[in-house]
Amino acid sequence: MLWQIFITFFKIGAFTLGGGYAMLPLIKKEVCSKRGWISEDDFVNGIAAAQSAPGPIAVNISIYTGYHVAGFGGMFMAVLGAILPSLITIILIAMLFQQYAEQVYVKRAFSALRPAVVALIATPLIEMAKKSGLKTQNAWFPLLAAILVGYLNITPIYLIVITIVFAIWESYK
Amino acid sequence: MIYLNMFITFFKIGLFSFGGGYAILAMIKQEVVLNNPWVTEAEFMQIVAISQMTPGPIAINTATFIGYTKGGIPGSVLCTFGVILPSLILMLLITISYIKLSKTPWFKAIFKRLRLLSLGLIAAALIMVLGHAVQSLFALLVFIACFVSSWKFKVNPFYMLIASAIVGILFGDISISTMNWSEISHALLGIFSHAS
Repeated sequence: MLWQIFITFFKIGAFTLGGGYAMLPLIKKEVCSKRGWISEDDFVNGIAAAQSAPGPIAVNISIYTGYHVAGFGGMFMAVLGAILPSLITIILIAMLFQQYAEQVYVKRAFSALRPAVVALIATPLIEMAKKSGLKTQNAWFPLLAAILVGYLNITPIYLIVITIVFAIWESYK
Repeated sequence: MIYLNMFITFFKIGLFSFGGGYAILAMIKQEVVLNNPWVTEAEFMQIVAISQMTPGPIAINTATFIGYTKGGIPGSVLCTFGVILPSLILMLLITISYIKLSKTPWFKAIFKRLRLLSLGLIAAALIMVLGHAVQSLFALLVFIACFVSSWKFKVNPFYMLIASAIVGILFGDISISTMNWSEISHALLGIFSHAS
């Protein structure tokens, strides 16, 4: 089991280009549909939790999923699996191929990989909209958050704190 | 001594970075270029470009690279561990409380709201990368093809990325990417250093 967790997250880590959010469909496919380790509902909550803690989303969601599946051992294997591909690749590049970024074929590959990564961020957005309880009455809230963070560069931490405080107040009202 | 200093610096970066990815870059730059004389601004830009081109979270790639530059393999492991340690502690606490409290009404209320915020934050990430990553007709076509294949036809993302890389090597437009790599990094860093 622990070995399977490690292999799964190693695969996820090795194929994640362009950072955290693009990784979400890959993780969801592996841990929900393929392995059935956690339910889709728990996964969507996991994304919300991963955004509310500091650090890379990919690492946070690995911690969440790994602990859910197999406690502490699962958590360590998931994190190790997720970061090991980066660690190895970067050390090799730093040691051997400083000019890697200048290679023509690398640049060519990336001219298509960058838009592909954007598509990997757009897809979970649509799938998650159904799962997140989005309705016409509450659509203003994610829209406002997207504008504040995406266009006006407000740090998300303020929105996270306000949301949590409001939700607690609302449930005790 | 530099090892301890690097560990503390990257721990701090990990602790105060919310929202992932590009938002962290401005803070790393502040720490490793301005507060500590570890790398020059030009070196930092190159490290960011390489981090974007290699698998894994950008914050971790940058931490590993700077750690290696200043302290070899022990340095790279130490910086990487430093940057993920705060996540490890805090996310573990959140996960344990989620498992323990997920049936209580107030905890359910928090997640009901956080899930909507989460949608907004992913949309924000999309807004930030869309303009930079989709700048040519070729990029737009790749984006549409990937979007339709992953959304409508549920194509496995692994194969989709491999197929995109091959399409890029065969038909990719490198004049655009050569022109924009450093500009993109500069623009992003500019935006985020104003924000923080």
